[in-house]
Amino acid sequence: MLSFIARRSATGLLMLVALSVLIFILLRLAPGDPIDAYINPSVPMSASDLEGLRERLGLDRPLPVQYLAWLGAALSGDFGFSIQRSGVAVLPLVMERIGPTALLMGTGLAIAIVLGISAGIFSAVRRNAPSDIALSVLSFVGISSPAFLTALLGLYFFSVLLRWAPSGGMQTAGAPFSTTDVLAHLILPACLLSIGHAALIMRYMRASLLEVLNQDYVRTARAKGVREFWVIIKHATRNALLPVITLIGSTVGIAIGGAIFLESVFNWPGMGLLLVNAVGTRDYPVIMGATLVIGVCVILVNLLTDVVYAVVDPRIQVA
Amino acid sequence: MRIRTLAFSIAGLLLAGIGPVTSVQAQSAKTIAGGFDVGPGGFPKNFNPLVATGGYTWLSTYFEPLVIFNAGLTEIEGDLAKDYKISDDQLSYTFNLVNETWHDGNPFTSKDVKFTLELAKNKASGSLFAARLANIASVEAPDDRTVVVKLSKPNGSLLSILSQLMILPEHALAALPPESLATSTWWSTTPVGTGPFKFNRYVTDQYVELAADDDYRGGRPKVDVLINRYFESPAAAVAALRAGEIQFTYVEPDDAGSFKTDSNFKVIEGASYVVNYIGLNQKVDLFKDIRVRQAIMYAIDRNAIIDSLYSGAAKPANCGYVAPHLVPEGLEPYAYDPAKAKALLTEAGWDKLNGDKPITLLTYYGSPQAANVMAAIQSMLAEVGINVVPRVVDTPTYNGIVYKEGTPDWAAFPMVYAGLQNGPNPAGLNPGLNKSQIPPAGFNTMRIEFDDLSTALDAALGQTDPAKLDQSWQEVCKVMNKDLPWATLWVANRYGVASNKLRDFVWTPAPGGGPYAAHPERWDIQ
Repeated sequence: MLSFIARRSATGLLMLVALSVLIFILLRLAPGDPIDAYINPSVPMSASDLEGLRERLGLDRPLPVQYLAWLGAALSGDFGFSIQRSGVAVLPLVMERIGPTALLMGTGLAIAIVLGISAGIFSAVRRNAPSDIALSVLSFVGISSPAFLTALLGLYFFSVLLRWAPSGGMQTAGAPFSTTDVLAHLILPACLLSIGHAALIMRYMRASLLEVLNQDYVRTARAKGVREFWVIIKHATRNALLPVITLIGSTVGIAIGGAIFLESVFNWPGMGLLLVNAVGTRDYPVIMGATLVIGVCVILVNLLTDVVYAVVDPRIQVA
Repeated sequence: MRIRTLAFSIAGLLLAGIGPVTSVQAQSAKTIAGGFDVGPGGFPKNFNPLVATGGYTWLSTYFEPLVIFNAGLTEIEGDLAKDYKISDDQLSYTFNLVNETWHDGNPFTSKDVKFTLELAKNKASGSLFAARLANIASVEAPDDRTVVVKLSKPNGSLLSILSQLMILPEHALAALPPESLATSTWWSTTPVGTGPFKFNRYVTDQYVELAADDDYRGGRPKVDVLINRYFESPAAAVAALRAGEIQFTYVEPDDAGSFKTDSNFKVIEGASYVVNYIGLNQKVDLFKDIRVRQAIMYAIDRNAIIDSLYSGAAKPANCGYVAPHLVPEGLEPYAYDPAKAKALLTEAGWDKLNGDKPITLLTYYGSPQAANVMAAIQSMLAEVGINVVPRVVDTPTYNGIVYKEGTPDWAAFPMVYAGLQNGPNPAGLNPGLNKSQIPPAGFNTMRIEFDDLSTALDAALGQTDPAKLDQSWQEVCKVMNKDLPWATLWVANRYGVASNKLRDFVWTPAPGGGPYAAHPERWDIQ
């Protein structure tokens, strides 16, 4: 097992190096560099001054030299400084964004799971009743609503018109940190993030439960005199949840995409907002750092999954 | 039982989260919050004034320049210099400084001004002022309150340039190597200025908070805290303004219209000082013939676009300027005349030159209004037989394409829809038009090499007689109108919206955010 972990870790490291080369090359192939992002096209300035700044930041050096300099520093834990933020170090900048993204995504998914499963069970139990039809229509609306539309409409109705929640940010500007303040800022984007996922989970839950409710063992449970509530909760729902759990796992990736968009609309200081900003301003060190941190997370999770699989299922050969 | 307790706890926590929204915002300190870096004049997240290409509205709340434009952008007045004198030969500028202390309590002296000017001239600091200040021969500080700047040749733009140069504290920065300044965290953690507000804290990518400077020479600011919130788009800032979370932001023209009928807000309107034009790449054979350039001018119904897409809030430009004192009599108005445009194209042999082959019209303007303008221009040009295809890219991409040195891909930007600052200093157009300013030397991205235009620009720049200055710039206007280096379109208005709770609040849609004498120490909130 140890040799398996060692081999997978070595492969992971190689993948990270390959990822860094790929991102580095792609960034340089994209038109415009961080200095081009400095230029306000409406305000005249000297291109020679811009060249001086480019030189100051080492952007005039040959690409292999730039990459090796970055790699050398990165190996010692120095991911450089944000070009657009007057020298703010990249690693702490990236690390401090993981928490807000996890908070937004986690809360959004938790709401979606609770709502989706509850509504799915309710809908399946009351199959073809008006409430089932109403929930089905709502779920189709939820699935078909693009994230940008729900985010903007939600912002307009709940922040601007009703003033039930702040319009953006993670805490009130100028106020001291408080958990309730963060929760107040979190609740609207998290609820909006959950809409699409809750609708999808509800559809899956309903279909899966309807299938299970026709199984022989459910009929047997009923025949034994088990109360209908416990038949549904204990016997049917537990089995119906299996495909839904698979779906929830696969929606995590989609949730990250949704969170990135919501972070932009609500100015939520997470990884998505950081990356969107960095790409828009060609902040190379931040893009490299953020991509690598995400890469490390994905590789670690994959490694962990492989190890767990190997532990759980001895048929998988790891030696 | 435990599940029930947990459920109640979560519900309580969530409800508690909703409840305090207003209580948290109701801070005891008198606070003005705004989106001061929203829009084209902003430069969000930049704290280093030496590399600023905008954002001066905010920077000038805690830093200050020697001189500054007045709020109407009509003339330059003293700021850290209480007055100044220019020698007859325009080679020597003497500044008399005010009595002021830095926010950390150290006295502000002429040594700080000398230090800043020398730092700004030093390319090693990453300064974007180095080329513009290159003709400063020496800076002398004969006493604590006097600075003498001597030039190697007259520079009519010097005061305008100095108005954007924020004076920096020698005692805080002299120990840092200039090479380290471009990546120093000093700017966003412990900057020290002389302005009415002092830096308090920066919450990364969220907001910057300033506190009133009790010892400011203009009197203690009326509000205790000034906050600059960052927004990803003007629309997000508008939402925060309507929600009452901020009291000011720049807005797009469409949004400005919706605020005009709302008594809770005041719409502030002003000239953008940016002339919009269609740039015609002179490295492309298509636009070398003056008749083609004239045809483009006649083909575009500028008045119709201004009426329908700008609600009349723009002035048509027949040269790079619209300010009356810079526009001479007798200019060709290029009134909309598609028949004349077609005739000119026929004369120029447009069919052989290009015919109906598509021509890229590149722009960095990404607003819905700009998309409508581009569509209107596309349709009007198609009417006379010029087939343009709009291409919208982000600003770095645009700059990466047009600024590229050597031999860029000319076909990528045969035509551009762009804008350039034409005031309050009229010399702003020089970098975009003079043949001496072709990249990498300058900003002439359309590679215009018209001798008579460059001669007129050089003459205006070298004009030492203030009485003849306007006449010199009028000559530039006349040559532009005749030669058409660009198809000039208009100078549009820009808008800010302020809450009616604000008192004595001053904002001007100045290019790059100014700076201008906004007197933030007088701003108040009900």
